[in-house]
Amino acid sequence: MSLVLPEPDLNIIDNKKDIVKDIFEITKNVISSDDEIKPYETDGLSVYRQKPIAVVLPETTEEVSKILKYCFDKKIKVVPRGAGTGLSGGSIPLADCILMGMGKFNKILETDFENRCVVAQPCVANLAITTAVQHKDFYYAPDPSSQLACSIGGNVAENSGGVHSLKYGTTTNNLMGVEMVLMDGTILKLGGKHLDSEGYDLLGLVTGSEGLLGVITEVTVRILKKPESVRAVLIGFQSIEDSGNCVADIIAKGIVPAGMEIMDKPLIIATDNFAKAGYPRDVEALLIVELDGTVSEVDTLINKVLDIAKMNKASYNRASNSDEERMRFWKGRKAAFTACGVIAPDYICMDGSIPRNKLSDVLAYISKLSKKYKLDVANCFHAGDGNLHPLIMFDSNDPVEMKKAEDFGADILKYCVKVGGVLSGEHGIGVEKRELMCEMFNDNDIQQQLNIKQAFDEKNLLNPGKVFPILHRCAEGGRMHIHKGKDKFPNLPRF
Amino acid sequence: MTETYYPKNESEVSDFIFDHFNKNNPIEIAGYGSKKIGRIIQSSQTLSLKDLSGIIEYFPEELYIKVLPGTSLKEIEETLAKKNQFLGFEPNDLGYLYTGRANSGSIGGVVSCNLSGPGRFKHGALRDHVLGFKAVNGSGAKIKSGGTVVKNVTGYDLSKVISGSYGTLCAITEINLKVSPLPEFEETFMISGLNYEDAIQVFKLALDSSLEISGACYFPSENASFLTLNDVKKDTSILGLRVQGPKPSVVERIKQLKKMFSDKLISILDIYQTSIFWREIKNFEGYANEDTYVCKISLPVTNMGSFLRYFNKTNFKYFLDWAGNIAWCSLTSQEDLDQMRIFCLKHDGYLTVLRANDNFRKSEEFLTNSNSSLKILSKKLKESFDPRGILNPNTFTTRLDQVFGPVLNAEEPIR
Repeated sequence: MSLVLPEPDLNIIDNKKDIVKDIFEITKNVISSDDEIKPYETDGLSVYRQKPIAVVLPETTEEVSKILKYCFDKKIKVVPRGAGTGLSGGSIPLADCILMGMGKFNKILETDFENRCVVAQPCVANLAITTAVQHKDFYYAPDPSSQLACSIGGNVAENSGGVHSLKYGTTTNNLMGVEMVLMDGTILKLGGKHLDSEGYDLLGLVTGSEGLLGVITEVTVRILKKPESVRAVLIGFQSIEDSGNCVADIIAKGIVPAGMEIMDKPLIIATDNFAKAGYPRDVEALLIVELDGTVSEVDTLINKVLDIAKMNKASYNRASNSDEERMRFWKGRKAAFTACGVIAPDYICMDGSIPRNKLSDVLAYISKLSKKYKLDVANCFHAGDGNLHPLIMFDSNDPVEMKKAEDFGADILKYCVKVGGVLSGEHGIGVEKRELMCEMFNDNDIQQQLNIKQAFDEKNLLNPGKVFPILHRCAEGGRMHIHKGKDKFPNLPRF
Repeated sequence: MTETYYPKNESEVSDFIFDHFNKNNPIEIAGYGSKKIGRIIQSSQTLSLKDLSGIIEYFPEELYIKVLPGTSLKEIEETLAKKNQFLGFEPNDLGYLYTGRANSGSIGGVVSCNLSGPGRFKHGALRDHVLGFKAVNGSGAKIKSGGTVVKNVTGYDLSKVISGSYGTLCAITEINLKVSPLPEFEETFMISGLNYEDAIQVFKLALDSSLEISGACYFPSENASFLTLNDVKKDTSILGLRVQGPKPSVVERIKQLKKMFSDKLISILDIYQTSIFWREIKNFEGYANEDTYVCKISLPVTNMGSFLRYFNKTNFKYFLDWAGNIAWCSLTSQEDLDQMRIFCLKHDGYLTVLRANDNFRKSEEFLTNSNSSLKILSKKLKESFDPRGILNPNTFTTRLDQVFGPVLNAEEPIR
């Protein structure tokens, strides 16, 4: 599979030996042999592979700073990497880059119950934060499905969400501070244990910036007390439309559930076969609604939700009466990706966000595309926050089918944007959706973002070739803003 | 003499700024002029976004509203209330601070200041509720970022940076805000007679429980007259914990609070009193009609006690909000204000001046910092939006060539 990345600097590649020697002076943790580099060739988007010139695994913020400063002076590109679970190819190396693996930053530095926060190094796994505080019944709210493996620093880079984003927000809403290093070696602290900051909200800007603005070396996140009671209800419908209407009505009635998930029939069958979750098989759509709060609040809300479901022609419902039963409800949904892996050799997972009321429209369109491309698709949908994950199944040994799957995915995302949604809800743009940015943004919008990139990284050395289109300018779509015959920023550099 | 231009649409905003970009002319961006935070801007041209007003779309079941920047906050709040919804960041009405009466101004102004009400520690800040926007930057280019959905990682999240940028990066021309359902019921659990150390301890106990407290404030006895409710005692300190949600749940949680704090002097404010109580706090109504400095002190909760101890001989009024994360202070001495600012920078926090006299706003620094790297990066960020520095110049500092004021060395002892 070919991937277009920025033109490599052959001088850098030729100087590999000297560069490795210089970096070895800063830290002994440098890997440059082909065999050892191999695991770093790709990330969660494993269809693309590329070897860097070397992998460096710093252990301290000072080492990160010295390495970046060295690379800045020598104009060497750097690609940062956390746990490597990202699905958009954000940490895929370049042929002339140093890959900076943050794997040795794996310690929780402080659990501070007085200020209700945890200070952790970036390669601590998302779930490990909850594990560190659960003895006092606290937890960290954002829970991406890869939470066992994905790193908290990577969560900051991608602004990861999970199934509880509607009520508890994504990473950006739960992040209090970071320590980061800019490409020129500057060490910065943003935020801290207080709320908000004066001056520009650089913390908010860095969250979701996909490793293009700086390397995160420390993270401070807010922790929450576990709710007293959590219950879930399974609701089956004879049409996707009814399930969508039910979600809209729940929200219109002023209820904000902790999570709401919809699965379509192909996924219900696939997950039930795989996980034996006990789902009803005679429904077209299955909705899981999870409610949390005090015991009486949850019980009241469960009844309200069941009433609303009835009004929306639900043909099946079941409320959990124990935590075990609730976990069983989730078991199938959480195994969605693995279940699809069993029924097809390969799948790609798309990640558009759409207005909730467009769900049946978008699913009908996806089903039409499935017929057009002759590829099976199963859909799960974070209905609470509008995040849609169609899983397109294909065989990567067949290059024609692979290309079809990619085109299918791109068509879905274009349609998501057309109905008022966005290209990515939580996986990021990376290399995967880079060229689709022009579907959402025109040249002015992109230029503003590039200007910001330049403010943080004037030589464009940190993770280049990601997020922004490199094959063409968005103006080629005819959307460029030409003001009275002239470009508003003829003198601004583009990279 | 300042000339004011009232554009009718985004293109007119773009043309106006582009023109001034070419002439290198500074512009003051204004809404209703209801907020007097930051320095008084010296410019011959004002760009008023007042006429860019109106609700573009509102989908209650999608939980967002799209508005033009000149739309009054009042209109937005009234529209949402009809559908039992509200802005979850509970925007402050700063009108009381400056004119002694309600004047919440335009939504553009509210977003530019990123100030949030009592529920901040539970529901997030204003910046957490801005889903997307359109704007014109300092070179006249129309730009946009974000969307109308809550989950979005498509390019940098510029909604965060424009929130609280005081109009120094761009002129906002459209804003998408997340909206929330109004709680069905609410009551306030009150404890009187605590000192601030005990109050901070009560905040901790309450927030360490699963009772989902959504407001937590404390007034020392010297400042209890801030509150006007007849049922609130004026001769003793008052701590309030707000409990919101479905009625049976609120009743149950209040019962649990009574059990937790059975050894204290407790009372309950009903739903009507609760709404007045928190409105007065949110809008700083008790600091109206005073000729004092009003400032926000933001510190980690664990440092708030040290702050109050350190300044216990200083003549100032305060109340704690956000479960002890913040103190809203009123004081007369500029020297004390400076001391407090230095204390905050030394203790992992910051101070923002919300009200000051014109003399202060003409000659003093508004934003200072303890970190020169942050100052350099902020300047570069400003230039990335506004390369010639024409938008609201010197809002933060007296220095013409800078964005922020001088770097205060947090290592130096407080005078």
